Amino acid sequence: MILWNRILAAVDDKEASQQAVRYLAGVLGGSDTCRVLLLAVLQRPLADAVPDPAQRKAVTEEKRRHLAESLAAARQELVAAGIPAANVEVHLEVAGGRTVGETILARQAQGGYGTVVVGRRNLTKAEEFLFGSVSSDVVHRASNFSVWVVA
Amino acid sequence: MREAPELQERAQELAGRPLGRVRLVTDTTEFMALEPGDVVEMEGQRFVLLGTEFEGRFGLDEQPKHWVKRARDLADGSARILKLVFHEEFVLPIGQFKIRCFRSPAKEARILELVRGHPHFMQGRTLYDAAGNPVRVLERIRGGPLDQHLSDMEMEHEQYYQRHLRGVLERLVQVFEALAYLHRQGERHGDVRRDHVFVDNDSGTWRWIDFDYNFDFRENPYGLDLFGLGNILAYAVARGEVTFYWLKRQRPELAAGLSADDFSPIIKNRLMNLGKFFPYLPPRLNNVLLHFSTGSRLFYQRVEELLEELGPALEDLPRPAPEEAS
Repeated sequence: MILWNRILAAVDDKEASQQAVRYLAGVLGGSDTCRVLLLAVLQRPLADAVPDPAQRKAVTEEKRRHLAESLAAARQELVAAGIPAANVEVHLEVAGGRTVGETILARQAQGGYGTVVVGRRNLTKAEEFLFGSVSSDVVHRASNFSVWVVA
Repeated sequence: MREAPELQERAQELAGRPLGRVRLVTDTTEFMALEPGDVVEMEGQRFVLLGTEFEGRFGLDEQPKHWVKRARDLADGSARILKLVFHEEFVLPIGQFKIRCFRSPAKEARILELVRGHPHFMQGRTLYDAAGNPVRVLERIRGGPLDQHLSDMEMEHEQYYQRHLRGVLERLVQVFEALAYLHRQGERHGDVRRDHVFVDNDSGTWRWIDFDYNFDFRENPYGLDLFGLGNILAYAVARGEVTFYWLKRQRPELAAGLSADDFSPIIKNRLMNLGKFFPYLPPRLNNVLLHFSTGSRLFYQRVEELLEELGPALEDLPRPAPEEAS
């Protein structure tokens, strides 16, 4: 069941994501009726790209550390804005074979989140064509829930 | 590696010429040291090396690929290509981007297993040498690359459109579907180019070759493959590349009326809105091409999305007489 006061906000270590969290703090600050999940998605390096398992593990742990720091900072920002700490969860999820967008959508469906918040980088058409965009992917596939794209 | 005079007679027979010496090689790690006439042994099977393969991008600047050897199976004499292990990481310039690519023998070995028996992929298997190197033993395809096949059809474009385009695109749909199959298995080709579709003269089928490139794109894992499909499609429709510079020389009045939206967002001088140059192209086919143009609001993310629109678009093309279908 979709619950409209349950909000999922995607977090990474990019400026666009931090901007989305600031926006969320501004909109929800002081509210105790919303519950927020801050979700970071970890993409492990491809084994083809980093064949050495020890090196792959080190790269993964470095990424995990960055994302955990981003999650902690985002949570602090929301709590500082007056959202009760008990209403702000953080979760770091491993994407496995999925894209970040697919992982966000899977978590949205699983938790019945009524709103998904994503930041949008200022990508050129060419960048979006080749590299893709999490926000475009989420908007493109969204059904029966709201998406806030903070650009 | 040791001298192997006992193999000399059979190796010479398969090579079709006298060989100065024959060596038996069980470790292919130092592939630059290998010579024609050497016999490579892997998992009990032996292959005599005949020479090194060359590759150029679209027929230009042919470069030796020292890790790719022409060979014959010592047991039955069949022609084989041996791809030896070469780990390479490089920056591939694509338009204004520099993409970090790497060559992965393990990836190509995985894909060969996945596509065993599939008519639209090159076939082969992986044998391991004594040092554990996965050597891909490929069946040689008699034929040539798609661009050569298309350029061999010497005629005016409108005649090509009337007589051949539908047949060409029907075959192209088959190889695009094959790529979609690969993507559904979680793999990508990695180097989708028109000279990596080979036209097999024996069976008449079109096949993907060379799957050992990979790159670390996660949010749009098939983006680079799709970019390549757009280029191949545009090439097949136009039977060549239509660039801004070429148009400016040949049709300056037309070039003046084009905008950036009509061109590829990646290769900015490549015309994708081909309907402006070939006014007889049906709108549905041109709309597919427009998804690869800067003006598109939505890019294909999956080959299936492309095929859902390309398949019906073929219905609008002239149906050639059976003897004229390519």
